[in-house]
Amino acid sequence: GADPKQLERTGTVREIGSQAVWSLSSCKPGFGVDQLRDDNLETYWQSDGSQPHLVNIQFRRKTTVKTLCIYADYKSDESYTPSKISVRVGNNFHNLQEIRQLELVEPSGWIHVPLTDTHKKPIRTFMIQIAVLANHQNGRDTHMRQIKVYTPVEESSIGKFPRCTTIDFMMYRSIR
Amino acid sequence: LQAAIWQALNHYAYRDAVFLAERLYAEVHSEEALFLLATCYYRSGKAYKAYRLLKGHSCTTPQCKYLLAKCCVDLSKLAEGEQILSGGVLNKQKSHDDIVMEFGDSACFTLSLLGHVYCKTDRLAKGSECYQKSLSLNPFLWSPFESLCEIGDKPDPDQTFKLTSLQNFSSCLPNTCTTLVSNHNISHRQPETVLMETPQDTIELNRINLESSNSKYSSLNTDSSMSYIDSAVISPDAVPLGSGTAILSKQAQNKPKTGRSLLGGPAALSPLTPSFGILPLETPSPGDGSYLQNYTNSSSVIDVPSTGAPSKKTVSRISQAGTKSVFSQSGNSREVTPILVAQTQSSGPQTSTTPQVLSPTIAAPPNALPRRSSRLFTSDSSTTKENSKKLKMKFPPKIPNRKTKSKTNKGGITQPNLNDSLEITKLDSSIISEGKISTVAPQIQAFTLQKAAAEGLMSLLRDMGKGYLALCSYNCKEAINILSHLPSHHYNTGWVLCQIGRAYFELAEYMQAERIFSEVRRIENYRVEGMEIYSTTLWHLQKDVALSVLSKDLTDMDKNSPEAWCAAGNCFSLQREHDIAIKFFQRAIQVDPNYAYAYTLLGHEFVLTEELDKALACFRNAIRVNPRHYNAWYGLGMIYYKQEKFSLAEMHFQKALDINPQSSVLLCHIGVVQHALKKSEKALDTLNKAINIDPKNPLCKFHRASVLFANEKYKSALQELEELKQIVPKESLVYFLIGKVYKKLGQTHLALMNFSWAMDLDPKGANNQIKEAIDKRYLPDDEEPITQEEQISE
Repeated sequence: GADPKQLERTGTVREIGSQAVWSLSSCKPGFGVDQLRDDNLETYWQSDGSQPHLVNIQFRRKTTVKTLCIYADYKSDESYTPSKISVRVGNNFHNLQEIRQLELVEPSGWIHVPLTDTHKKPIRTFMIQIAVLANHQNGRDTHMRQIKVYTPVEESSIGKFPRCTTIDFMMYRSIR
Repeated sequence: LQAAIWQALNHYAYRDAVFLAERLYAEVHSEEALFLLATCYYRSGKAYKAYRLLKGHSCTTPQCKYLLAKCCVDLSKLAEGEQILSGGVLNKQKSHDDIVMEFGDSACFTLSLLGHVYCKTDRLAKGSECYQKSLSLNPFLWSPFESLCEIGDKPDPDQTFKLTSLQNFSSCLPNTCTTLVSNHNISHRQPETVLMETPQDTIELNRINLESSNSKYSSLNTDSSMSYIDSAVISPDAVPLGSGTAILSKQAQNKPKTGRSLLGGPAALSPLTPSFGILPLETPSPGDGSYLQNYTNSSSVIDVPSTGAPSKKTVSRISQAGTKSVFSQSGNSREVTPILVAQTQSSGPQTSTTPQVLSPTIAAPPNALPRRSSRLFTSDSSTTKENSKKLKMKFPPKIPNRKTKSKTNKGGITQPNLNDSLEITKLDSSIISEGKISTVAPQIQAFTLQKAAAEGLMSLLRDMGKGYLALCSYNCKEAINILSHLPSHHYNTGWVLCQIGRAYFELAEYMQAERIFSEVRRIENYRVEGMEIYSTTLWHLQKDVALSVLSKDLTDMDKNSPEAWCAAGNCFSLQREHDIAIKFFQRAIQVDPNYAYAYTLLGHEFVLTEELDKALACFRNAIRVNPRHYNAWYGLGMIYYKQEKFSLAEMHFQKALDINPQSSVLLCHIGVVQHALKKSEKALDTLNKAINIDPKNPLCKFHRASVLFANEKYKSALQELEELKQIVPKESLVYFLIGKVYKKLGQTHLALMNFSWAMDLDPKGANNQIKEAIDKRYLPDDEEPITQEEQISE
């Protein structure tokens, strides 16, 4: 998929991973949350336990999440590359519900996972859990290089209208 | 030794100066030496050293006090500074008159500093009083005027900038030339403003360095209020007045020559340069040739006796002789009449500003004092601020006679130079008077020329003052008008153009503003003040390339200026890299915690990253620093709007509007909030007002249309929207709203058409609302769609 930075530049979404608390089911020392969130594709999280391996993302308040972006690369990670991922959301650990399951076949790059509810709108949730159920070549542990969480950007500054598209309008939209 | 120190200072050789001053102080533990040492530290940029030094010893002389207070303010120890200047917060405070008496010539600066302290500690009324008094003492000071405008007072430029008491040209005009080249040191923030006009001769003077003719400031007594000395030195040559500053700076030369030799020196430069200073040295009537008052010399002379430092014989002679001669002289044709040394003189202690003159407090006969002060000032001013720019302000048109005169006289006519140096920031303004002694020296002539030059300057100040006042009251069109009428050589300077650019910015005419600012960048690419507005203008216009070029250049040039970091932050904000933008705005705040705009911009970034609490804190900080910063009030209003606290939002927007009543964007926002509060009539009124003020603002029309739509006035809404379509044909929102109106009117076909146009025009397709609007439209004619549609709209 495309680099999520481009997504950011459209101004329609915003990365909000920094507003959440991240935790992992297990990790090898030096290959943990920091490496998962450091904007560096060379570093990665390596799990160190039994499956399923979990990434928990907990927000302070109910947050609208539009897209999840995961970077996976079969060529570099081989048997550590996830092949089956389940995305669950809920209020806390006890009432998570799966809303997406994806099968990956030798991925090499960013995977965009849109998270929508039954009405095709972005989900609103307190917590997201990404579960790695299986890896390529049946590997036990997994590598994940980067994960990004995107929320839709609030609409136009005033009035409940969609965002404006021309500079002529945008110039007058606010005082800075 | 003192002479040597001053000379070093004048040459910015701070290490030398400090070293010598330390030796001097070790040798002689006098207050003057203390002051001199502190001055060396302060000028070399180490205010904390000066502060600790002065704190550690008693400071009774006004110059020491002033310098200490200045250090305190620089180090943000406002209470202490205040205490020193006026007796403190708790004790009985001195009245302004006491201060005037105590500080004499430097009273205007003292008051200005005190005003600054009061304003920063929330005592605006007292601060305003101080500023006004300071201005009345010295109308050449710009920064008190500016501060008054900024705190919301409306000082009257006509009243402020006029020469009334100044004119103490009455005192015998030195025929010889006592020209005081006063340098204008405009407030450090506005280096471009040239407040003074220095007639060409200053140029000469420049070279001569401050030969301050002050020696003949007989008028010393006359005007304590006059804080400046007018001296017009006309140098017949083309040396631009601007060189005046040069002179000033050089003047510090405490060349080991005697005054006379000094004269010789400068004289060599130009036969016309009057050297005033040496006069005393020579006969009481220096008549022949020009004497350049060697400021330093004289000062050193004076110092010499007091400090006992070795001084050239002549120097000492000068001091003695000078003082006597200066003051004793009476009707000598040649006598160098001291030009009013208003500012400098007034305070006997003038020590504060006299760089050259070592602590004037040195025991010199009272007469000498004033003289010294003038000298001091001049040298001071010259050295301190090279207002070359200022001096460049030639006022040839205003002083035509002068030039001719000077040209005709061999000796040059010493015309009082109206260079007032306003050392606002530091020592008292030193007026450098270049004394040119013209053999001919018709006193009257000099006098009138001087007066004319002063008048010219005043009238310029009046105009600029009016323009600035208009801008601060956000009377932007008026401000632009006034400032555009300035003479073109002033108009094309950074300061003026920046003010005009800012006026356009406040009117939301960003394209015009951009044009003006890019001109500023072209002519003065070292200017950072005002560049933050330029960066925001580019942000509004979304010119990312220009913005990144600007921010790179500014940050390379001056990493210590908040404006540069604000520009950098704006650049990244435009790229939607909000975290980096936040980092840069925080840096701007670190660099200058008293810079309100950095807080405001940071607040806006936090709003964009949805961290509303932090944003609230930022905006409140901005208001704490500057209560008239309407952008911050606006920011608060926006946050409350987002949180749906509409009445709070309206209140804050209204506050912003009170400060800036001409902003159509603000009015537009208020209109929308009023509509949200269900005050639709008022909303429409407000929006109408907004449209009247600025018919080019398409959002006002758009929101008016939406209010009409919400009130079911479909026809009018459509009409509005059709007009809007003509103005901004590519805006998807317009079609979206039209579509909704048609939908309401039941004209589904037209509605769909407009919706699809809207979608086309929105390349990112992020507008779910449009999609939903269309989708619902497609549902068959159940009752369902209608309710769902209701849900979607608004």
